[in-house]
Amino acid sequence: MSADPTLRLEAALKVTGQAMYPAEAPMQGMLHAVLVEAPIPCGEVLSLDSAQAALTPGFADLVSYPEAQLLKPSGVTALIHERTVHFVGQPVALVAADSLLAARAAARAVRVEYQERPAVTVLGQALDQVYAPALAGRAPSESRRGDAAGALAEATLVVRHRYETAVNNHHPMEPHAVVCNWVGDLATVHTTTQAVFGTRSIIAHAFQMPAEQARVITRFLGGGFGCKGQLWWPWMLLAMLASRRTGRPVRLELTRAQLFTLAGRRAETVQDLALGFAKDGTLTAIDHQVLAQTSTHAEYADTTAGVSRWLYACPNVTTAHRLIRTNQPHPIPMRAPGSAPGTFAMESAMDEAAERLGVDPVDLRVRNFADHDQDSGRPWSSNGLLECYRIGAERFGWSRRPARGATCDGRWRIGWGMASTFYPQHRQGSRARIRLGGDASLLVQCGTQDMGSGTYTVLGQMAAEALGVPMANVSVELGDTWLPEGPFSAGSQVTVSLVPSVEMATATMKATLAAMAVGDPDSPLAGQDAADLVFADGTIRSRTGNVGESLAALMARRAPEGLEAEGSAAPPEAMTFSSMGYGAIFVEVGVDPDLGEVRVRRIGGAFAAGRILNPLLTRSQYVGGLIGGIGTALHERTVTDAASGRILGDSFADYLIPVHADMPDFDIALVDEHDPHLPGGVKGVGMLGTAGVQAAIANAIHHAVGRRIRHLPIRIEDLIGEDSGRATDS
Amino acid sequence: MSDDGRIALCLTLNGALRQVAVAPCDTLLDLIRDTLGLTGTKKGCDMGACGACTVLAGGRRIKACLALAASYDGETITTIEGIGAPDALHPLQDAFIRHDALQCGYCTPGQILSAISLLDEKPKDLAAIREGMSGNLCRCGAYPNIVAAIAEVAGL
Repeated sequence: MSADPTLRLEAALKVTGQAMYPAEAPMQGMLHAVLVEAPIPCGEVLSLDSAQAALTPGFADLVSYPEAQLLKPSGVTALIHERTVHFVGQPVALVAADSLLAARAAARAVRVEYQERPAVTVLGQALDQVYAPALAGRAPSESRRGDAAGALAEATLVVRHRYETAVNNHHPMEPHAVVCNWVGDLATVHTTTQAVFGTRSIIAHAFQMPAEQARVITRFLGGGFGCKGQLWWPWMLLAMLASRRTGRPVRLELTRAQLFTLAGRRAETVQDLALGFAKDGTLTAIDHQVLAQTSTHAEYADTTAGVSRWLYACPNVTTAHRLIRTNQPHPIPMRAPGSAPGTFAMESAMDEAAERLGVDPVDLRVRNFADHDQDSGRPWSSNGLLECYRIGAERFGWSRRPARGATCDGRWRIGWGMASTFYPQHRQGSRARIRLGGDASLLVQCGTQDMGSGTYTVLGQMAAEALGVPMANVSVELGDTWLPEGPFSAGSQVTVSLVPSVEMATATMKATLAAMAVGDPDSPLAGQDAADLVFADGTIRSRTGNVGESLAALMARRAPEGLEAEGSAAPPEAMTFSSMGYGAIFVEVGVDPDLGEVRVRRIGGAFAAGRILNPLLTRSQYVGGLIGGIGTALHERTVTDAASGRILGDSFADYLIPVHADMPDFDIALVDEHDPHLPGGVKGVGMLGTAGVQAAIANAIHHAVGRRIRHLPIRIEDLIGEDSGRATDS
Repeated sequence: MSDDGRIALCLTLNGALRQVAVAPCDTLLDLIRDTLGLTGTKKGCDMGACGACTVLAGGRRIKACLALAASYDGETITTIEGIGAPDALHPLQDAFIRHDALQCGYCTPGQILSAISLLDEKPKDLAAIREGMSGNLCRCGAYPNIVAAIAEVAGL
C-alpha cells in the first residue's frame, strides 16, 4: 500500500459536535453519581453514616464497602473492598441522586469516621525503604552485561550525575466517565476506556456473569495517553453497582481535580547515571540506577533505564530500578513511559560528554550506534536511527550550529540542542471483520477504540487499499464489544496489531470475489486466471487480459446481500528480532537570562518507524507527542503537600500544560525505513515524539546560557540569578 | 421563580427560541449539555480553565461553565450544532478537517467557536491567533494545525 494523505475519517463528526463520547450516551431516568473522597493519606474507615445523606432531596443510593462485597474480589476491586485508605482523594463511597447537584449535596452529608495512621507522603520520607520490583514495565528490573564498575574506573572520561523528573498527570481533555444501564442481567456500559474488551472482562469477573452479557461501548474517546485503563475500573464498577441496585441508568464523571488522584500519573524519578568513555568517544560503561515512586496498594515501575540497555553500543552496562511506596496516587504508563524520563538522563549526559570530549553531539551518537540489540543479542528488525540523525541534522541546519552562548536575538540568547528518541515495538492478537455491501460499499469492524490517534482512518485505509475500494465508500465501526475483539490502545500498538488481521480478512474476501468473477459466465472476467486479478479503483481487472468488471456490478449480480470475511492474528511468538521506532530531535530555544524565560522557537524531528500508512496523521502524532514533551520539559509538575498528603494546585490553573502561545515551528521528516520482518513493515508511531525532546530542550538551554539543568520541569527559577548548586551539581 | 425554586427563562439557541426552567446555580454548560442534550459543547474542567465549553453569547465567545444559565434570559446562544453539519460545513470546520486540526476531537468544538469569535477580532498574524486561542487547551497537541486552519480562513 502506498502512503496516502487520507483525511481523518471521523473528522466531520468531530468538528460538528456530532461525535458522541461515552458521558453523552442518552438515557431516560438517569441518576447522577459522585464519589465521597477520603481527606487523609493513610488509615482506616471506621464507620460510614449515610442517614443524613439519604434524607437529601433526590437521593437514590449509596454504595460503599458493605455493598461492594457483592463484587467478586480481584486486584481491581481491592480498593473498594478494603477499608484501608492509601492516599488523599481515595473514594470511600459513591452517591447517586436525581441530579448532579443533589448527588453533590448528598455526598457532602455522608459522615465518615477515620482512624488515621502515619503516612509517607513524599519520596524523601522513606529513602530507607527502597525495594526492587519484579518488573520494570515488561522488562526485568535489573540488567547486567560486562563490568560497568570496572570500566568506569578505567574510563578516560566519566560523566556521572543525578537526574530528576517530576510527577506528571495525563489529563486527556475528556474526563473519565461511565453511563451504565442494566436491563435484566444485561449491562450496557458506555465508558471512557482504552480497552473495551479488557473492561468487559473486568465487569464479567466482578459481577460473575458471562462476558456476553456485558456490552462495553467507546465509540469516541477524548484522549487517553495511558490513563483510561485499570485505575478507572473500581469507580466504574461502583457506578454499575448503584445502577444494578436502583434499576436505573447511572452516570459518573470524574472532575478535573480527580484526574490528579484517580487516573494515574507518571511517577517521579531520581536517576543516578554514570557514562564512561574512551578517548575517542566510544562508550565503555553505563551505570543507570533509577528510583521511582509507587503506591501502597499496588506496584508499577516504568522501564526508565531501558534507554541504557538498548539505545547505544556499550559492552559494560548495569541498570536497576528501585521503588519506594508512598501514600500517593498510583503511577501507570503515560505517553512514552520510561523512555521519556530515561532519555532525559541519557541524552543530557551524552550532550555533556560531547562537550567535554570536544565532539559534535550528533557525531558522538553516530559513533556509538548499536548495530544490534546488545541487551538481548538479537538483530534489529530494522533500525533507521542513523538516517534520522543525517536527515534531521541536514534539515535543521545543524552544521551551522554556532558556538555556545554566541547568538542573541534581542533579549533572547539562542541555543541549539539535540537528542535521540526511541520506543520499543509491541504487538497483540486481534480480529477484524470486513463487509462488502451489495452496492460495493465497504464496512470494517473491530472492537478496538480510537483515542484520537487515527485508528478509524488507517483501518479503513488498509482494507480499502487491499480491495481497491475508494475511501469515499468506506465506513469503519470501532469501540464496541459486539464487534470482533481488537487490541487495547496503548504503547503504540493498535495499528501494528491490526495489520495482519486486516490483511487476512481482505485476502479471504479477494479470493472469494476472484472465484466469483472468473466462474461467472455473465462476467467479462469469466475464464480468467483468478490469481491474475488486480483490485483497484472499485474495479477488478485482469492483469494480462484487457478485461475488467466493477465491484458494484459483480456484487449486484452475484451477492446483492453482501459478503463478509474475518481475519485474526495471534500475538507474536518468541521474537527472533528486536524492534524499535527511532528519531532524532533538534531544538532551538531562546532564553531571556534576566527573566529566566524559555521559549522553544523551533523543533525539527526526523523519525523512522517502518512503513507510514498515513503521513498526515503520522505528522499529527509526532507533533502532538513533541508538544507533550515540551510540557514535561518546561511546564508540568504535580506537587504533593508533605504535611497533608494533598495534591497542591489540582487544576489547569496551576498544573500548566502547553497552550497555543507556547508553540514553536515544527519541521517533521518521515524517514523511509523498510522493515522486512514486521507484518506489513509497520511500526507504531505514537510514543516517539514524547521522548528525547526534554533532553534536546535542556541541551539547547545549556547551549544558550551555559546552565546544565538536570531536573524537570525546567522553570524560570532555575535560570535566573546565581547559578544554583542544584542546577549544576555533580 | 416557580414554587420549586426554578427560574423560567427564554433564550434563542442556534436560532430557535427555547423556554426552560433552571435551578439558580445551574451553569449555562449544564443547561446546554444535560438539560437540552446538545452534547457538542464539552465539559473539560468545569472551572473556566480549558475552553472545551466555549459557546457564543450574542456572537462573542464565553466559557459556558462559568456562566449562570439564569443570567442568559433573552440572550442569543450559538453552540457547535448551530455552526454547521457534516453535509453543510462552516468554512472553518472544513479547514479543520483539511489541516487535520484535531485528534481526539474533545476540545474541537470549543476551539472552533473560539476561533469564529477570534476571526471577528481580525487577528493580524499567526502570533495574534496563537495568543487569542490560548484559552483553548488541547492535550493531543493539534495546536499548529488548528492555527493553520484559522489562518487560512482569516486569509493570512
